[in-house]
Amino acid sequence: MNNNLKNKNFLLRLLGDPKYQFISIPIFAIICSLIVSAIIILIVGQNPLTAYKGLMQGAGILAKDKYASFQGQPTDFMETLDKMTPMLFAALAVAIALRAGLFNIGVSGQMLIAGFVATITIGYSRQMSPFLAKPLVALIGMIIGALAGGLIGFFKIKFNINEVVSSIMLNYIYQYVFSYFINTKYIDPVTRQSRNIGANARLTLMQMEIGSYKMRIPIFFLVAIIVAIILYFFMNRTSQGLEISSIGFNSDAAQYAGIDVNRRLLHVMLISGALAGLAGVTYYLGYQPSILPKSLSSIGFDSIAVSLLGNNNPIGIIFSSFLITVIDRGATYMRSAAGVEQEIAALMSGIILLFSAMGVYMRQKFAALLGKNRMRG
Amino acid sequence: MTEEYDYIIEFKNITKKFPGVIANNDVSLSIRQGEIFALLGENGAGKSTLMSILFGMYEPDQGEIWLRGEKVKINSPNQATELSIGMVHQHFKLVENFTITENIVLGIEPQKSVLGLPIVDIKGTDQKIKDLSHKYGLDVNPTDLIEDINVSTRQRVEILKMLYREAEILIFDEPTAMLTPQEIEFLLEIIKNLQADGKTIILISHKLDEIKQVADRCAVLRHGELIDILDVKTTSTQTMANLMVGKQISLSLDKEKNDPGKTVLEVDNLVIENELGIEIVHDVSFVIRTGEIFSLAGVSGNGQMEIADAIAGLIPVKSGKIKFEQTEITDFSVRDRTELGISYIPEDRQRFGLILEMPLSTNLALKSYYKEPFSRNHILQDRVFLDYSDQLINKFDIRSGQGSATIVRSMSGGNQQKAIIAREIDLDSKLLIFVQPTRGLDIGAIQAVRERMIAERDKGKAILLVSLELDEIMSCSDRIGVIYNGKLQRVSDADLISREEIGEAMMGVANNEQ
Repeated sequence: MNNNLKNKNFLLRLLGDPKYQFISIPIFAIICSLIVSAIIILIVGQNPLTAYKGLMQGAGILAKDKYASFQGQPTDFMETLDKMTPMLFAALAVAIALRAGLFNIGVSGQMLIAGFVATITIGYSRQMSPFLAKPLVALIGMIIGALAGGLIGFFKIKFNINEVVSSIMLNYIYQYVFSYFINTKYIDPVTRQSRNIGANARLTLMQMEIGSYKMRIPIFFLVAIIVAIILYFFMNRTSQGLEISSIGFNSDAAQYAGIDVNRRLLHVMLISGALAGLAGVTYYLGYQPSILPKSLSSIGFDSIAVSLLGNNNPIGIIFSSFLITVIDRGATYMRSAAGVEQEIAALMSGIILLFSAMGVYMRQKFAALLGKNRMRG
Repeated sequence: MTEEYDYIIEFKNITKKFPGVIANNDVSLSIRQGEIFALLGENGAGKSTLMSILFGMYEPDQGEIWLRGEKVKINSPNQATELSIGMVHQHFKLVENFTITENIVLGIEPQKSVLGLPIVDIKGTDQKIKDLSHKYGLDVNPTDLIEDINVSTRQRVEILKMLYREAEILIFDEPTAMLTPQEIEFLLEIIKNLQADGKTIILISHKLDEIKQVADRCAVLRHGELIDILDVKTTSTQTMANLMVGKQISLSLDKEKNDPGKTVLEVDNLVIENELGIEIVHDVSFVIRTGEIFSLAGVSGNGQMEIADAIAGLIPVKSGKIKFEQTEITDFSVRDRTELGISYIPEDRQRFGLILEMPLSTNLALKSYYKEPFSRNHILQDRVFLDYSDQLINKFDIRSGQGSATIVRSMSGGNQQKAIIAREIDLDSKLLIFVQPTRGLDIGAIQAVRERMIAERDKGKAILLVSLELDEIMSCSDRIGVIYNGKLQRVSDADLISREEIGEAMMGVANNEQ
């Protein structure tokens, strides 16, 4: 009994102590969702362990039983990293805005406008040298994204329009305006998508022969990781980062302390937009070579939850975007290997994101159970 | 009324610990039905914690609570309400754009049936609230919106909320901290009415005069321990004060005649409008010189807070000039003013003065974090933050659970205020603006803040003091300006104006019309 109590206290200490919560709560959320997902898989009559194994195999974490020629575990893994790159950029865009108390729900729209502009300016200029085209694509993506994000910031500080409202509206505008242009000017009549961009401009190298494999190489994956590390440093270790957090916690006190709140908010939206723009070009001119009209990428919305799962901490987000991408990418193989419909994978991501969104509640709840709630007196 | 129990509430050996602090240590108290029982103690003595336990907000680590002769376990404020316990918090919990009635019935809305559908019956309840309000002399208009009524009325709404829920045990947490002298008198009268009606009242306070005036018995807490339970009628305020702080303290302030020098701040024909475009400060002019404390006296809401905000640069002015040492700063940013030499201790310390979610060390550097040595090339130097913070903690005796790393939200109000004062004084500014600097502090802390203010004056600082407490104005100022309805009614040397004259000017009786 006494021992039991001690164990309980140990677990509670891990979950309740603010010192460890940054890691213990997301892990707890993931474990909870794996358990809940396992129950659902059991209910549909399949073995959850086989299903989870299938996911990992599909994403290239574990080896499949057999591969086609030039294919192998590294091929799958590189494709996972290719898909993770835009997710990571998008989640970082969400995270920095959230740090300042802004909810950038317009990441999808910013991705689309950046991807579209980069596609029509550089994507179709097939004679340009790849060494010039690829950096230009990234640069244009960043600039256009920053302008799109900055516009939301401008509306906010100039006319006091809530950033959620303006970004949702802008999402619609981008979606339909660019569909119009794609459908009238850039459509591929067979695929009903925009015409594929040239390999010279694509940010993913396709069919690269390495050893006995032919694989994708996402050039911007390492850039995304480096950007995450820089952003972590910027948000936590610089005076501008401190100003951004101050505004997020209490903008009245930030103003009182002499921080130019409006200027900082505009900066934050410019940075957030630039990151969303990078997500846009690594998705529309990287993971895929074209844009599907009349639709927004789900990455822009999933990234909100990925950012929450990663505690809005850029380093945490590297891991959370990897996890969500693995589940997403492994789904197809899970169906063939374990006979579990691939929609179950989407369900799993949903459950993980739901639990991670409950993270703030869990933090307070566990902290309260541990008696670390605020003191009065 | 006959009871089978001796005491309505009994705390038995209550202990409650927080990280680094024992908030209550083995406290046992018994409270009789129908008495006004005061809890006296410094900030952080454990008064609010003990009451929060009774109100179901905290669970005690050890000990029991007995109510009406039965052992109870109170897990939530809702349960406390069911046990007819009500609490008026220091910070009110009201919905701004609801009417008084709507706020009172929130959570237990009376329903009537219209066409078979349940509808909230607000109209019918208005009358009920009105009657209740008359019964205890609370005097509110049930259809007023909360955002349109003043602090004192809001507090009465909180009291009505408890009465509407038929509370028998009423807890008041520092109820007079934000009230003017007249409003305090009014509140104490209400509390006596409630007692006459058979309610049991627990009053958390560190204002000895008030306790002396209304309470029957008084428990003194110090550092989480129960020191003594006193019969208020037979105990002097000096004895209570000494028990509270645990040493002999002097209740008077030593202040020598000042020696003012050159003008630091000059305010010329200042006009300020609020967000709705209504003029709330009309044509105010004054100067403050080095080595003097200039006070703005007045009843709350007469424009004095806006004048302080405008000097600090937090709100724009409509017309007029603000000059700091010959430089016109009317359009300067907040930061430029801080760097020129203006420190500001704001009225609302939790909303403006601090970022509650951040550690003490960051809050202490909130106005210097971007400068060397705190930041080098925009990179924060943690070591410097911590060293600086430790230094201020020692110098200003700021108490907290985990030192520099303490999240400010967990600190007591008095220590939060000490942190702000430490930060602002240590900027070594030529002008210090103190707005309500001792609001909600205990006697020991009040004395320390006032002494500190006078010490800064003696060092040659120019000080603007805005206070709603006449005692504070009388004991600290060198010159006094009285403000009424946005106009400066009178400006006078402190020793040439009497308390009564200030009081008259505060109520709008102009000097030259007498």
